[in-house]
Amino acid sequence: MAEKLDVQQGTLALMILKTLEVLGPLHGYGVCRRIEETSKHRLTLNYGTLYPALLKLEQEGFVTAAWGQSENNRRAKYYTLTAAGRRQLAREAREWHRTADLIAAFLAPRREAP
Amino acid sequence: MRYVRAALARLAGVFAGHRADDDLRDELQSHLEMETAENIRRGMHPDEARRRALLGSGGLTQAVEAIRDQRGLPWVEGIAADIRYAVRALSHSRAFSVVVLVTLALGIGANTAIFSVVRGVLLKPLPHRDGDRLIYLRQSADGDERANLTFSVPEVREFRAGVPSLGGIAEYSSWFGTLQGDNVAVRMDMGLVTGNFFEVMGLAPVLGRVTEPSDDGIGVPPVMVLTHEFWIRRFGGDSAVVGKQVRLDGNSVTVIGVLQPAPFFPDRVDALLNMVVSPHHTSAFMVQNRSHRMTEMIARLAPGATMAQARSEVAAVYGRMLREHTEAYDAGSHPRVAVIPFKEALGERARPTLWLLMGAAAFVLIISAANVANLTLMRGVRREHELVVRAALGAGVSRLRRLLLVENLVLTLLGAVLGVVIAIGGVRLLTSFVARTSARASEIRLDGMVLGFTLALSVALALLLSLVASLPKEGTFASMSAGARRITGNLSKHRLLRALVVAQIAVSVVLLAGAGLLTRTMIQLSQVDTGLRTEEVLTLPVPLLNPTRISPEADAASKQLYERMRSEIRALPGVIEVGVGSTMPLRTSQVALDVSAEGKALAVGEATPRADLRTAGPEYFRAAGITLLTGREFEITDQSGAAKVVIINQALVNRFFPGEDPIGKRIAWTGEVLKFTPFSGDWRTIVGVVGNTQDGGLDAEPQPVVFMPFAQEFAIGGGLVIRADSNVAALAGAATRIVRRIAPTIPIENVLTVAQIKDQSVAPRRLNAALVSAFGLLAVIIAAVGIAGVLAFSVSARTTELGIRMSLGADSGMVQRMILREGGVLLAMGLVLGVAGAVFAGRVIRGLLFGVAPHDPTTLIGVAAMMAAIGIGACWIPARRAARIDPAITMRG
Repeated sequence: MAEKLDVQQGTLALMILKTLEVLGPLHGYGVCRRIEETSKHRLTLNYGTLYPALLKLEQEGFVTAAWGQSENNRRAKYYTLTAAGRRQLAREAREWHRTADLIAAFLAPRREAP
Repeated sequence: MRYVRAALARLAGVFAGHRADDDLRDELQSHLEMETAENIRRGMHPDEARRRALLGSGGLTQAVEAIRDQRGLPWVEGIAADIRYAVRALSHSRAFSVVVLVTLALGIGANTAIFSVVRGVLLKPLPHRDGDRLIYLRQSADGDERANLTFSVPEVREFRAGVPSLGGIAEYSSWFGTLQGDNVAVRMDMGLVTGNFFEVMGLAPVLGRVTEPSDDGIGVPPVMVLTHEFWIRRFGGDSAVVGKQVRLDGNSVTVIGVLQPAPFFPDRVDALLNMVVSPHHTSAFMVQNRSHRMTEMIARLAPGATMAQARSEVAAVYGRMLREHTEAYDAGSHPRVAVIPFKEALGERARPTLWLLMGAAAFVLIISAANVANLTLMRGVRREHELVVRAALGAGVSRLRRLLLVENLVLTLLGAVLGVVIAIGGVRLLTSFVARTSARASEIRLDGMVLGFTLALSVALALLLSLVASLPKEGTFASMSAGARRITGNLSKHRLLRALVVAQIAVSVVLLAGAGLLTRTMIQLSQVDTGLRTEEVLTLPVPLLNPTRISPEADAASKQLYERMRSEIRALPGVIEVGVGSTMPLRTSQVALDVSAEGKALAVGEATPRADLRTAGPEYFRAAGITLLTGREFEITDQSGAAKVVIINQALVNRFFPGEDPIGKRIAWTGEVLKFTPFSGDWRTIVGVVGNTQDGGLDAEPQPVVFMPFAQEFAIGGGLVIRADSNVAALAGAATRIVRRIAPTIPIENVLTVAQIKDQSVAPRRLNAALVSAFGLLAVIIAAVGIAGVLAFSVSARTTELGIRMSLGADSGMVQRMILREGGVLLAMGLVLGVAGAVFAGRVIRGLLFGVAPHDPTTLIGVAAMMAAIGIGACWIPARRAARIDPAITMRG
């Protein structure tokens, strides 16, 4: 198993939003599985991290939550991306790319002319 | 938008409660089940599947906590819980809470009430536009310290020309008259003012207009601006009064406006008029003579000018006046001009008393705070175990501190609420008291500022109280052993307790000593010999002769009326004697003039003697009960046209004829001012000497007085002095009716018995004494509770120790003495500190004392003895309890 990483502050919201965009309405367990799989199990999420983040997104109006039936007939709470959530995802993804490019450029091993 | 939405959602989350918790549990449960099912699907044994799932969850309880924190506002919920907890804890220790609350309420109430008075009377900005730039100028000289010489018109003119830093100088002259309505006559106190007065004062009308420079001079119509208070009182706030004509001393005067509410100085006034209403004020006499001083000066600092500039410029101009006009100034009495901020001048009579009360109230608050701190500390020691357990369970020090702070806030804020209720009553009482010494009493309010002060005070107290309590250190699980029984209390905490008790005793002694000094002052004052042999004297001022219209005819007519009143009142049953005179006994005379004695030249630089000018009929001295020391009283034969004679008082004899027989010697009125009076400077022969009377108040040095026969001079002032065999106050009604019938248009006011006049002098001191005594008593009670409480605590904390001592052979008497000694040491330290403080405090309030030294030994010893007795009494109860400890029981624990 690869080295475990802590979820970086602020990135979890982005991951959740992206997951919901890709997979549509999903319960907490599904989100958790998806993120762990996507990260090739380098990330693990416990409830105390995941659910407060979901609640925060709900409070901010980016997702809505409703009880529903799961594929194998279990009762589960489903989270759905809202229009505001979609916009927020686009905005955050853009910002994240920008930051990532900047950091990558910064760390690139290059010697400047004196 | 997003943040607002989130904040609202979280706020709603605070109240979500159980339903949200159930929902959350369901959700986590379903997550767990799905994960377990997945694990089983992968081939795990169901138990292992569930174990793995739980492991991955990271702890369900922790998750629930984290989610709850995200859902609501954890600190709000924490504080709400703290408040609930605090209220519960406080209602459990009811005795503690009641003592603390009452103590705090009294301390905070007293401070709130007095602060609202201090603010209204001394601190609040004046209602005048830029009131801080208003200045009052006072000319004074040696002699009677309170004397205000005022200014003459030529002096004002010179200041106006020579002091550029004063942007405007207004003239104000006190005046009074009679307002004639339909069959009522009302005395009006007025100010005659120059047209620039309102501009300088920065006062605006609420109705109509105020006077302007075009209202100055002669040949303009007389006009009147009503003060707001008089407009409400006399005209019921009727706006139709503006533009109307009123009759004032026979003149027709137009009411042109009503002024905004504002305090006046030096007198309360009913209306302000232009000068033309008094022929005297516009006469050459008044306008041209430097020594004719009857004008107050109020000025406004010019833009950019400072107080210091104004002072130095005024001093320069005044110095020049003194050099150039030596005849108008008595260099021997060191004349000087003070430049005083108007706000200060307004507050100067009330200030010493108010600071006294503020100081006393602050002391009471200090004592109550110390008591509350004590009680909190003691309770803190008892609660130590609880706090340690809380700390061990994971509450951080800051969390515990918050808990204590919330508890203290609940206490002090409740105390503040009760205190404000007390203050509402207190302010009412104080306002009527302060109204006697300040024109600003009507501005006293329990307003937002005052309530803010109270709030700040209570929060500060709560913070302070939270700081004195010591808390277990974070993570000290070792102190769990505090759960074990304590043998003795924590010494360092005891030291603080003791220091607080010593401070309480000391401050109580200071307050009691102040109360004692003020009470003795009041007693001394009420025992001052007024100079009258009896209190069964009624004074009835009847000013018949209008001072603006003095003529021989009017004078003769008024004298006839006085004689009719005199003889009719004389016939009333119970009346022994009725005298007539210019001025009532124990009242200051309106006229004081320079006086000289034949053959007694003044030394160079010696102040010119002044004496009160009074007139008296033949019966006056007998009616008033003034003692004739030598010579004779006035006779019927001392008629106008007969030889001019005078009777002088002992004070003037001491000044002119010490060790000589003054009978037959001659004196005369003199000085620059004499020519503005209707009195002559002829030599007058002394025929009698009477004893001094306390005309300037019971605490004032008797001033020299010259009496002239009522019949030989104009009947200025005027009034009747009535002596009865008993209960003279009952005569007031009958006598007033007679006067009213004979002179229906004359306002009759201030009909007072000598006892009442005396009381006017004593009453303010009585209130001082009563208030400070009440504070002192309060302090003592609180301090006694403090001593008893601390000792009782000490006994209960040392029960085991005392039990050991007793089982080792100490008898109950020894234990009792030990506890008494413990209290006695505190008491003695407090007494020593307190007496030292009292001597100092006595010096500070010296100005308020009369007939008693600031370090009066009788008072100090009495107060110390009283405090000692109370202190020992307070020690006795816990000492007795200690003596009754049963060693067998305490040792077994």
